Amino acid sequence: MTKPWMGEEAAPEIAELTAGYRRKEISRRQFMKRAAAAGVGAAAAASILAACGSDDPAPTTTAGTQATTTAGTQATTTTAATTTTAMAGPTSGGTLREGYNRDVSKHDPLTTNWYDPAFFAIYEAILTNDPSGASVPQFASDYSVSADGLEYRFTIPDGKLSHSGGTINAEMVAEFYRSVQAYSFIAGLAAPVDTYEAEGNEVVMKMKNAWLGALGPHQTGYWRIININTWKELTLTADGELDAGSTYGTEVADGTGPFTHEEWVPGSHVLVRRWDDYPGSLVPFFENKGVAYLDAIRWSVISEGGQRATQLENGDIDTLINPQHQDIGRLENNPDLTVIRHPEWSGYHLAMNRDYEEYFGDRLTRQGLSHALDRVGMVEAILYGNGAPTYGPFPTTDRQYDPDVEAFNQFDVDLANRKLDEAGWTMGSGGIRERNGVPFEFRYAVEDETTQRVVAEAVAAQFSQVGVRANLDVIDRALHFAEISAPGRDSAEMSLFFWLWPIPLDVLTIFASSGTIPVPNFSHAVEPRIDDAIAAWQSSATEEEAQAASSAFQLAWAEELPYLPLMNQNATFVHHNRVRGWQPFVWNLYPYYNDTWIEA
Amino acid sequence: MTSEQETGPRREAWNERLAEYEASRHMGAFRSSLRRMRYNKLLLIGVALAVVVLAAGILGPVISGVDHTLQSFRDTHLPPGSPGHLLGTDHLGRDVAVRLFIGIRVSLLVAAGVTALSLIMGLLLGMFGGYLGGWRDRTIRGVVDFVWGFPLILVAVLLAGGLGGGLFPVILAVGLVNTAAIARVVRGEVLALSEREFIEAARAGGLSTPRIMFKHLFPNILAPALVLASYYVAVAIIAEAALSFIGLGAQPPTPSLGGMVSDGRNFLQQNHWESTLPGLTIVLLVLAVSLIGDGLRDVFDPRLRHEAKGVENE
Repeated sequence: MTKPWMGEEAAPEIAELTAGYRRKEISRRQFMKRAAAAGVGAAAAASILAACGSDDPAPTTTAGTQATTTAGTQATTTTAATTTTAMAGPTSGGTLREGYNRDVSKHDPLTTNWYDPAFFAIYEAILTNDPSGASVPQFASDYSVSADGLEYRFTIPDGKLSHSGGTINAEMVAEFYRSVQAYSFIAGLAAPVDTYEAEGNEVVMKMKNAWLGALGPHQTGYWRIININTWKELTLTADGELDAGSTYGTEVADGTGPFTHEEWVPGSHVLVRRWDDYPGSLVPFFENKGVAYLDAIRWSVISEGGQRATQLENGDIDTLINPQHQDIGRLENNPDLTVIRHPEWSGYHLAMNRDYEEYFGDRLTRQGLSHALDRVGMVEAILYGNGAPTYGPFPTTDRQYDPDVEAFNQFDVDLANRKLDEAGWTMGSGGIRERNGVPFEFRYAVEDETTQRVVAEAVAAQFSQVGVRANLDVIDRALHFAEISAPGRDSAEMSLFFWLWPIPLDVLTIFASSGTIPVPNFSHAVEPRIDDAIAAWQSSATEEEAQAASSAFQLAWAEELPYLPLMNQNATFVHHNRVRGWQPFVWNLYPYYNDTWIEA
Repeated sequence: MTSEQETGPRREAWNERLAEYEASRHMGAFRSSLRRMRYNKLLLIGVALAVVVLAAGILGPVISGVDHTLQSFRDTHLPPGSPGHLLGTDHLGRDVAVRLFIGIRVSLLVAAGVTALSLIMGLLLGMFGGYLGGWRDRTIRGVVDFVWGFPLILVAVLLAGGLGGGLFPVILAVGLVNTAAIARVVRGEVLALSEREFIEAARAGGLSTPRIMFKHLFPNILAPALVLASYYVAVAIIAEAALSFIGLGAQPPTPSLGGMVSDGRNFLQQNHWESTLPGLTIVLLVLAVSLIGDGLRDVFDPRLRHEAKGVENE
């Protein structure tokens, strides 16, 4: 055992103590006392105990355990020290207090612009991902795909109740999906779907063409099934238009998940309560098929990064989604906590509003800006290494990632300056470049969240080194989305966007499609190469076709730069050891709460 | 023991002050005030502190020659005393000392802007309201009381919402609230002065209202207004820091002291100096300005000079 944490003089004494602890001659408490007497700090002593844990025969979790979950997606679970409490069976009761790093979105899959963990408690998707990434039943009891890939059939169980007491049948599910097509801003994700119809107890999804990715969007939050009658009653006007004053998702939510909507307070918290009439789950990997164990779940919005870990350490919350990166090491050393980390299909990228043609209209300029960015440095300094630089649209851990994108967008300030020179930008007075009398200075909108603010600030400072001034405008999340969604020159010249999605290709295609301007194509970019690649992806029926389309898409993105890729981060989930059955994994963005319980 | 019975250095110092006071009776008011400043130790400490902080803010960035936006991802969170970084670096590897210097500039700029705005507006509103009276006084008083009733942060948030982030809304917000404070005091002074003989004489002499206000009232209320304004410089600095702390002040990458405290608090457990250094700078800056304000009040307020007269009469 190496002991970098202790002085040479103390080493033999501590080694003896450690041996005694391992032989069970001294207790954990005695170890801590004697270690303190030998001049070893409590944290260091706890680390030593943690390191001893793997030899401990007690029925415990172990130190630094690594568990491979699925193909190529390794999750790391770290518990700092052994837990001596014997594992009892699940018990009901208690409120799970979860810290969340974002503000909350309204609980309406059809009209929200983001979906949060509560969607996984209130709603069910037609299918969901199991820990291996396979599609398994959730709302539907079964499904099948025709041989030509043009028809999907989902079996809807009889008497499927929603929270309001209504029954959701196949026709209502089909109508819900049609409403997604009609009203969701993200409907383009499933563009190859032609129609949804009900036939008996089946929902039939007919495709315009065979598409390998057809099920993907249907397993996300935006396609989580609601009682469409409740939604229509509250959200549609007599003319069939969306009512901006609808209370659906803010005061009412009518899903089929194990928890019911209770409180929704943006900027503060969300509360859901156990649904005691929950008919049970069909999801194969849930151990608890019945009513949830927890009385309630309360998500607290903790947008201030520094507060997240502290609240968990203080016992104000039980679980935490995405602590600050610099706090992860400390949390991993806390014997009362377990840290789960896995790759996340997410990324930070910069939208450049092409309607400001004078700035971003030409590729050379965009490439010049891109070469000015030290992505490796940002990953180290801002994410503390808990992520990876991206030179194209995808995270490096994606199954379809094409490493050829790394030929583009490498950090090279000289090359950045040369490209900007070549694009006609000359250095003007005050160190700001100019072209045709227009200074290269613009507004740069960023959401008011700790990490995003720092990323934006780092980017702006790097631009300034090549004579480009990006004036940061830090704005509230709701305003930020509105700000970047406006048409034409009404949206900000540049904006930082953090995307998060279980299948990157799905969401990134709509970010860059010429058919989705101004939202979610926040760059208003029209790139024929990218449109062609998207068309190829949405008509790919085999793995080979999908990979080819995906590669074409990635390379076109890396070269044409509809957005400047920056980096992606790993997902980090932390729970107090008294919380059991809370198992986030890589294929779903958030954990399910059916199996979660709190040890007394 | 009476003062006559005291001996030794204390008595000598007392006598010296008394002599100075006697001498001051034969000087002009301004020179007299200047002489009194020499004996106000807190004022001198405040001035010395202010000179140091001002010099740091004005000369620091010039002398160091380092760009405050220059970041080095390989040199983040360096502790104070690191080679090339006197006060270390922050989370993006930027030099903390240079950012502090610029932060001081920002604070002083806001303080100057706020003070100028609130002094001019406060003097005008207070004078007009107090001297003109009637419906004009009631209107001005109503507006002033209305603004005064709003918390500073709320006014700033409203203005930032309407005008966007940055220093201008901060100056406007703090300036408006401080204007109300100064206007209230000025109005009171003007009400008292309006009853004095020299104003009555000016009215009887047929002088115009503007002439009475600016020629006779203004010089008499300037001193108390300046003293009051010096207090509100400290208030402005604290308000700017608070607003920057919550993200409403200077926008990144422009450093502000409050913004630096805010950024640094995310690293308190790892690198506390990123927060504590700008925090200490705010303390020093406010302390300097407050001491100067206290000192000026001691020097200019005749009621506080009464003590010296008391000594003379003993």
